[in-house]
Amino acid sequence: MARELTVPLLRLRGVRKAFGAAQALRNADLEIAPGEVHALVGENGAGKSTLISILGGALSPDAGSLEFLGAPYRPAGPREARNLGVAVVHQELALAPHLDVEANICLGRERSRLGFLIGQERRARETLEWLGYGHLDPRARVGGLGVAERQIVEIARALFQDARLILMDEPTSSLPAHDVENLFAVIARLKARGVSVVYISHFLEEVARVADRITVLRDGETAAAGLPASTPARDILAAMVGRPLGEIFPSIHRNLGDTLLSVRGWVSRPGAAPADFHLKRGQILGLAGLVGSGRSSLLRSLYGLRQAEAGETEMAEARGREGSGKRIGFLSEDRKEEGLALNLSVRANATLAGLARFVGPAGLLRLGSEARAVRDVCASLRVRYLDPDQPVGSLSGGNQQKVALSRLLLGDCEVWLLDEPTRGVDVGAKAEIYRLVAQAAADGKAVLWSGSHLPELFGICDSLAVMHRGAMSPVRPVQGWSESEVMAWATSGKADPA
Amino acid sequence: MKKLRALAPYLGLAAAFLLFAALGPAEFHGAYNLKTILTQSVIVGVGAMGMTFVIISGGIDLSVGSLIALATVALARMLNLRGDAVPAWLPWAAGAGAIAVGAMGGLCNGFLSARLRIAPFIVTLGTMQIFRGGAKWLAREQTVTAPATWLNGLMEVDPVPAWLWLAPGVWVLLGLAAAVAVILRYTVFGRHVYALGSNEATARLCGIPVERRRMLIYAVGGALAGLAGVLQFANLTLGDPTAAEGMELDIIAAVVIGGGSLRGGEGRAAGSLIGAMLMAVLRNGCNMAGIPNYMQNIVVGAIIIGAMGLDRLGNKR
Amino acid sequence: MSECSKSFRLRVQGMKYPLRALLWALAVPLFPMPQSAYAADAQAPVADAAHPKLVVAVIPKGTTHEFWKTVHAGAVKAGREEGAEIIWQGPAKEDDRKGQIEVVQNFTSRGLDAIVLAPLDETALARPVEAAVKRGLKVVIIDSDLKSKAFSSFVATDNYAAGKLAAKHMAEILTKADTATPPPGKINAPNRAQGKVMVMRYLEGSASNSNRENGFLDGLKEYAPQVEVISSNQYAGVTAESALKTSQNLLNKFIKVDGIFTPNAPTTFGMLRALQIAGRAGKVKLIGFDATAPLIDAMKTGEVQGLVVQDPFQMGYLGVKTALAAKRGTKVEPRVDTGARFISVANLSEPAIQELIHPDLAKWLGN
Repeated sequence: MARELTVPLLRLRGVRKAFGAAQALRNADLEIAPGEVHALVGENGAGKSTLISILGGALSPDAGSLEFLGAPYRPAGPREARNLGVAVVHQELALAPHLDVEANICLGRERSRLGFLIGQERRARETLEWLGYGHLDPRARVGGLGVAERQIVEIARALFQDARLILMDEPTSSLPAHDVENLFAVIARLKARGVSVVYISHFLEEVARVADRITVLRDGETAAAGLPASTPARDILAAMVGRPLGEIFPSIHRNLGDTLLSVRGWVSRPGAAPADFHLKRGQILGLAGLVGSGRSSLLRSLYGLRQAEAGETEMAEARGREGSGKRIGFLSEDRKEEGLALNLSVRANATLAGLARFVGPAGLLRLGSEARAVRDVCASLRVRYLDPDQPVGSLSGGNQQKVALSRLLLGDCEVWLLDEPTRGVDVGAKAEIYRLVAQAAADGKAVLWSGSHLPELFGICDSLAVMHRGAMSPVRPVQGWSESEVMAWATSGKADPA
Repeated sequence: MKKLRALAPYLGLAAAFLLFAALGPAEFHGAYNLKTILTQSVIVGVGAMGMTFVIISGGIDLSVGSLIALATVALARMLNLRGDAVPAWLPWAAGAGAIAVGAMGGLCNGFLSARLRIAPFIVTLGTMQIFRGGAKWLAREQTVTAPATWLNGLMEVDPVPAWLWLAPGVWVLLGLAAAVAVILRYTVFGRHVYALGSNEATARLCGIPVERRRMLIYAVGGALAGLAGVLQFANLTLGDPTAAEGMELDIIAAVVIGGGSLRGGEGRAAGSLIGAMLMAVLRNGCNMAGIPNYMQNIVVGAIIIGAMGLDRLGNKR
Repeated sequence: MSECSKSFRLRVQGMKYPLRALLWALAVPLFPMPQSAYAADAQAPVADAAHPKLVVAVIPKGTTHEFWKTVHAGAVKAGREEGAEIIWQGPAKEDDRKGQIEVVQNFTSRGLDAIVLAPLDETALARPVEAAVKRGLKVVIIDSDLKSKAFSSFVATDNYAAGKLAAKHMAEILTKADTATPPPGKINAPNRAQGKVMVMRYLEGSASNSNRENGFLDGLKEYAPQVEVISSNQYAGVTAESALKTSQNLLNKFIKVDGIFTPNAPTTFGMLRALQIAGRAGKVKLIGFDATAPLIDAMKTGEVQGLVVQDPFQMGYLGVKTALAAKRGTKVEPRVDTGARFISVANLSEPAIQELIHPDLAKWLGN
């Protein structure tokens, strides 16, 4: 009732955005009131970053209506968005490190006479003072400042440019605790001045403290709009993860076998607590955690792509012909930059780690049997392709990922380390990847599955551990975890939500 | 588009040939002149075979020209070891020695770029000078004459024995091109060369010993530069420390015309061979038709850019 | 093995005067030094306070060819006679104009007494030479002319005359070949030489070589008006390698050619190799220029009919003498001809010729 009396500052209806085949936003709604702090939450890949990019003018939507101050809002680029009063404070801060604080604050709004710059130090200083950072020297080089101070410079720039709406993308993810408090104070001041803030965060307890209302995105859709800040954390989590599970996950029966890989006292990055766990044949161990929580470092160090700080691993004796190749296989989360050689053929990518199998007499490759093996594995994975010699880059994302997985199959790897194996693939391909991995586990492989999508982890894994800032929780069967417990551990490193 | 790119060097060669056959004198398409053109493409061609490995793997080697000169001087020096009474084994040993000198030079390039992670362009820009200086030092800044051996006959357009029909150097080039084609397509090493150039991170992920492979690739490139040096020696029958100055650019151009991509991951032995022949045809044709040298420079330049343009188009699809 | 250890000894000898070498290294520090055969002559008489020792830089076109080593020997001889110090420094390659300009500039700023220069380019080197003269240095040009009036003297072979000399002998050779069947009705012709001749030129913009080429072509018109010139517009390029390729291509085009003239050592050698490879060496009459060991060997076997030989020793010797005279204020001739000889199997054994083609380099250069 009350909402209809105030004109919203910003109103989005049915916004859609696709990247190729991937639908990043299907139906996003968002409404921001003037002087409001509005939290935007959702899992990785839910579409938050896409939405921010659209609001900030970096992307233009495929469909949907956008209104800002009651007028249609279609900025042609970040510059126009800024001129209209919408500013983004980025995760990777967008400052010129070689320029001083004043120059960064005025960047793009410099004043000049006859081509000569006019200093705006007084206004820059006022802005900083107003934010409670009067001690920051406008002449200091930004490159010499800490992360928190740089953030303040970005916010000051937004204010300096008369922003009405400031979008903050995970502003606390790299801040120590006391700087987080300072940032909250700044947000309170912005609110008092009538500036609206859209606040994106994984940390639900922060959201509860700082936000007036909360909107939940899930799979590119608005799952819950404008929840009051008092909404219990478990309801927010439910909105984030809630969708019918079951039908896309395979029901392949698996027996847990012998322990294949034992990891003891493993420290994959400096300062993290050591991790201990075992991987058994037939097991799919899920690894949950936010981006940057250390999942990738753990997998990469186990595979040997980076040096571990401490710890030891032990592999059980090889079984049959499995011993011939490298016994651990790794699937990279970054398919384009690392996982695949995109301009090489499907065939070359599939067999790159297991070429030794196809070496015939005189050291020459038996291309015929290689092609047969690639055809067989591609058929069993239902890869849609025309020809084994076609460049892998010409396939869709899901089919590319299946080719990357086929490498583990063809390489006869026993331990599969999968880093975000379903990132950037559509639902159909996801289901096939679940089936394939479950089948591999049923055939006696051991799988370590790192992912950020909770329903997926609950659906595919039989046990689960959560990473938080480099440390790993105890491994428990999935039945022993609730989703909110996982989220709580991922955000705070503790079992109980705050 | 990809298919067109693979055919382009052959079409280019055919077009250049037909053009000069129309413009030039009748002698241009006589058998003897064709044999001459093949002989003239040998040195660039052999160098281009090594460069094909390097460029497919995403590297570059600017030092091959200097390495060829160093190899000719080293070969001439070794042939002089026993004065004028050359024992039968000496030409073989000296030839092998020259190839070894090339391989060592290439290994230096590989070590510096793979282990010390200096960009190969910079490394080989440096070794280009160093090897050239080494060649001049070894030659005492003059050409080094050597006693006559069968090595001198490697580049005879009418070879002895006559049943060879083509100069032995041409057969060396053709055999080498076939071997390189087989290595690239049918061996694990060849597959790794493509993988390294296409995406080094993927190669590392797949357990390929990236540094060792790179060193091997540069060593092979260097060894083939050494072989090109042996043939260069046969051409002039003396060790010339100023030989092959600037030839690295002809060699790189041959690979690029033949479908090699400086971004790595692409390139073929047959293409590089055709690229080398195309350059020889252009030079020979320009001389034959009495076209001034500057036209030749312009034409070769245009063809290189044209090859690159096709490359871009092919990648856009 | 002996060759290798010899070259090693050479290096060690070069290190005998490390201090002086260091001083020179410091003197010319800012420019990319072309790889050089640099040696200061140390055996010169020691200068006293009343007669400060004059320092002369001799800058050749290149340092790899034997021709330039002979120039060096002549320069050293003059230096010893006059008690002057000779600095030998040149670009490593015969078309590195930029490198040679830098060498001239470096010595100018160093403030020597005189420069003896064989310019790589008749125009490119003019300004650096004028700058040197302005700074008080005396400049003598050797080997190839320079388009400038600043220098004191031009000490060189008269290349045009040398080219004509080659043409005269070409006419004789082609006449001899035809004496069996004198053409009827031409009894009083100045020369009965007949056939097809080509000239393979050296490099665009090389004055000395184009003078030889033009001298040859003009001489041919004079001595053998019936001879047909079938090609004279193709350039061989700098190295023997490029000369070989051009030669092969020209020989393939001109199946019928009776005589060939090439204006210097690398072009002659490239053409000789092309004739050898084609099996036409000796059948096609080749007259070249400059006497290097492989060319003299080929002359003995009849594959080269003759060589026009300059006197590089004299060029170096007179170049330095003239430069020193100019520095001391003596009037010098603006043009000094160092002469050219035609050598063939017939006169090869004459002592004067032997001295010309085998100068005693070791006596002057010490190795």
